[in-house]
Amino acid sequence: MLTAGELTLLGRLDLAFRRPQNGLYAGERRSPRSARSPEFSDFRPYVAGDDFRQIDWPAYARLEKLMLRLYVAEEEASLNLIVDTSGSMVMGEPPKWQAARRLAAALSFVGLAAMDRVQVGELGGGRLPPMRGRDGVSRIWTFLEGLEPAGETGPAELRRLLWARPGITVLISDFLVEEDGSWGPPVAGLASRRQEPVLWQVLSPDEEHPSIAGDLKLVDVETERSRELTITPGLVADYQRALRAHRAELARSALSASGRFLHSSSADDLEAMMLAGLRAGVVRRA
Amino acid sequence: MQFLLPGAGLALLTVPAIVLLYFLKVRRPEVRVSTLMFWRRFVADRQANAPWQRLRLSLLLLLQLLGAVVLGVGLMRPGLIGAAGIDATTVVMIDASPSMAATDVSPSRFGAAVERARSLAGQLRPGQQMAVILLGDHAQLLAAPTGDSSLLRSALDRARPSGTAGDFAEGISLANSILTGRPGGSIVLYSDGHSRPPSSPARVVAPLTYQSIGSTGENVAIETMTRSSSGSVFLRVTNYGRTTRDLKIEMRADGRLVDVLQVKLDGNTTTDLTWSRLPAAAQVLEAKLTPGDAFALDDKAWLVIAEPPHHSVLLVTAENGFMQKALKLRRGLDLTTVKPADYKPGRYDLVVFDGFVPAGKLPEPALLINPPPGEGPVPLGAAIDPGSVLPGDVRDPLLSHVSLKEVHIQSAATVKPPTGWRTVISAAADPLLLVKEGEPRDAVLTFDLHHSDLPLQAAFPILVQNLLDYLLPGGFENQVFAPGQPVTLIAEPDARWADVTGPDGRTTRLAPPPFPPFTATSQPGVYTVRQQLSSGERVSRFVVQLQNPSISRIVPGAGPFLQPLDRPTAPLPRGTLEIWPYLVAAAVVLLVLEWLVYLTNPTKFLISRRSQEAGR
Repeated sequence: MLTAGELTLLGRLDLAFRRPQNGLYAGERRSPRSARSPEFSDFRPYVAGDDFRQIDWPAYARLEKLMLRLYVAEEEASLNLIVDTSGSMVMGEPPKWQAARRLAAALSFVGLAAMDRVQVGELGGGRLPPMRGRDGVSRIWTFLEGLEPAGETGPAELRRLLWARPGITVLISDFLVEEDGSWGPPVAGLASRRQEPVLWQVLSPDEEHPSIAGDLKLVDVETERSRELTITPGLVADYQRALRAHRAELARSALSASGRFLHSSSADDLEAMMLAGLRAGVVRRA
Repeated sequence: MQFLLPGAGLALLTVPAIVLLYFLKVRRPEVRVSTLMFWRRFVADRQANAPWQRLRLSLLLLLQLLGAVVLGVGLMRPGLIGAAGIDATTVVMIDASPSMAATDVSPSRFGAAVERARSLAGQLRPGQQMAVILLGDHAQLLAAPTGDSSLLRSALDRARPSGTAGDFAEGISLANSILTGRPGGSIVLYSDGHSRPPSSPARVVAPLTYQSIGSTGENVAIETMTRSSSGSVFLRVTNYGRTTRDLKIEMRADGRLVDVLQVKLDGNTTTDLTWSRLPAAAQVLEAKLTPGDAFALDDKAWLVIAEPPHHSVLLVTAENGFMQKALKLRRGLDLTTVKPADYKPGRYDLVVFDGFVPAGKLPEPALLINPPPGEGPVPLGAAIDPGSVLPGDVRDPLLSHVSLKEVHIQSAATVKPPTGWRTVISAAADPLLLVKEGEPRDAVLTFDLHHSDLPLQAAFPILVQNLLDYLLPGGFENQVFAPGQPVTLIAEPDARWADVTGPDGRTTRLAPPPFPPFTATSQPGVYTVRQQLSSGERVSRFVVQLQNPSISRIVPGAGPFLQPLDRPTAPLPRGTLEIWPYLVAAAVVLLVLEWLVYLTNPTKFLISRRSQEAGR
């Protein structure tokens, strides 16, 4: 699914979690809990009840105050990847689905390489059990390759997703549904389930800059509903304004849920998509 | 406000066409898209599957309708009467061709032209002058340059349509002579483009404005009505318009309806009809097209059935079968043929001398064919090779329907035409056929018919009949003349006076013989001539009717062609300010506006709230 060069690129990247992760197993992510580990974290004054074995005696010698030495606990993190498999994902030139699937494969690889707990599923469809370690890469990729976009999905499907552990939930979709602006509440619901939402929109170039013109009958590929209209340059400009407004609304929804929104083109290669992730703070250099 | 080209109002049909297009649903190609969410707020209410849809009022529609109306009105060339003023000296030329009698504009083309000229006269300011020229058979100066509007109006009251096409060249020549030496002059021509064009592009000394009058070319004409020797009547009917016409032809004998013929004519076609139910005792047959059309002059035709009076003709010839046969073709002619040696003077209406001239006084009228040199009223000279055979005057009635193109003459005699004789046919230098004008009449052919191929041509019997019309007493009987054409009534030898009664019942007395040409022939119809003879009264008839295809083709024509070098470049003066350029400019602005609206967003400009809601 990904080339060796792309895997080399991904090997230099890591997922950027905004909050320390409280995992079940020890991992490579900072835990909100303090623990013994090689990595120093901070000092704090000693209070009654603290383990006096952690008192930093050299500091007491210098400051004549009892100070405790704290260390970072490194635990695993949860990465939940949800891919939109609605019928609209096959549209576009190049098709959005190819780009979305490769993006999901890349993010899952980055997560598994960092010993995170990675779970992949389709919006409104089935999910793989959580995977951990590089062994899970082939299973996840096989799962992704087996997905076929069809039918109709929507934001309501997000409400039905339940997570055992807090983590980051990346939703890869075109976010094109009839119910305009209805992504806000479901995304906010993710935050309430201790998920850090990342909305990653993938659109094709002809969806961002429509090249159609004249008297046309447009048919929604998911709902089969149609509209007849005369497409003029002015109408295309209005379309693009509406698209920008839609993206702004998605960004507000993500931000209000302490998440992030970013978008890529289906014509972008993996490096360009990862650069977009870097700019949005979704991935970082390892 | 007036419209100079009202026929262009057909362009306004685009207005209902545009509305109709808005009713029609567009068959749109289907395009599958990921979502309609960004398009939805702009879509129109066009989801019905019916081929028609509810009309939605939009700014686009209004702009298109407005543009079409403005353009349509502009094409009709609206003009504001008197808005442009006139020049210091304006020469108004009014075409009086018969086609100007068409009533496709009210009251008629000629009436509308006079009315416009009258309006122009009413706009004269102190120091401005106007002259009026009527373009008839000859250009006539109705009013010399004057600033007196009442004089001009009374001159215009005298204007009448002519029976023949207006002579534009004469009119221009007259206008040039008026305007020469007068700075700031101009010429305004009111015409339907059917005046006789000059042989070369006209040279004008002042700007000429051509104002076309007339709106249609729809006209059906009875071109010909004749009677064959077998007694059946032949009719030729032509549709000069574009539309198919279903017509009836009412046949009246002496004013009584005797038959109705049905005829259906496609545009620009001609049909021939033969009718053989002529009542035995009928004197005058009338054919009338119904329903009529805008040009009534050619909707009627008349045929005088009554036998013409008999005339006695003596042919004195050694041997001339051609002449003998040609003379016998005429009905009511008693022909006697004698050898020159047997000739004796007698009482004949006409004597034809072939290669012979009697001694002593020549009987008159007489037709002399190849008289011996030095003899006769016109002494002939030596024989020459005449070369080309040319008409003396193409409009000479003696050459009516006579084609000389294929005529060749081996030898003719030189002759110098004496005073009072006119040349009908000529060679390069010498006349070939001369006729004596005035009474009594004579004619001389200067060549032997056997030394030419003229007798073998179709032109020969026609020429002989024309000569007989000219030389025999009467000559006008049962003949057809064009409206306005003077008719020469050759009196019978013992006639004392003649009363001519026109179709309107007005009688004109002509006396004493020889009668002057009868000129009151403006009205089409049958004219009755009653000659008072010593032995009683002789009644004969002639017909005045239009039989000219170039005039029956009444569609308004283009303006006259002027010499570009002489055409002044100054702005054309107009009594009527044409506003079509402004309308066309407004239409262009509207079209640009409509294009801009289309480029921005057509459905933003839906007018009605309901439409806006439907758009959302």
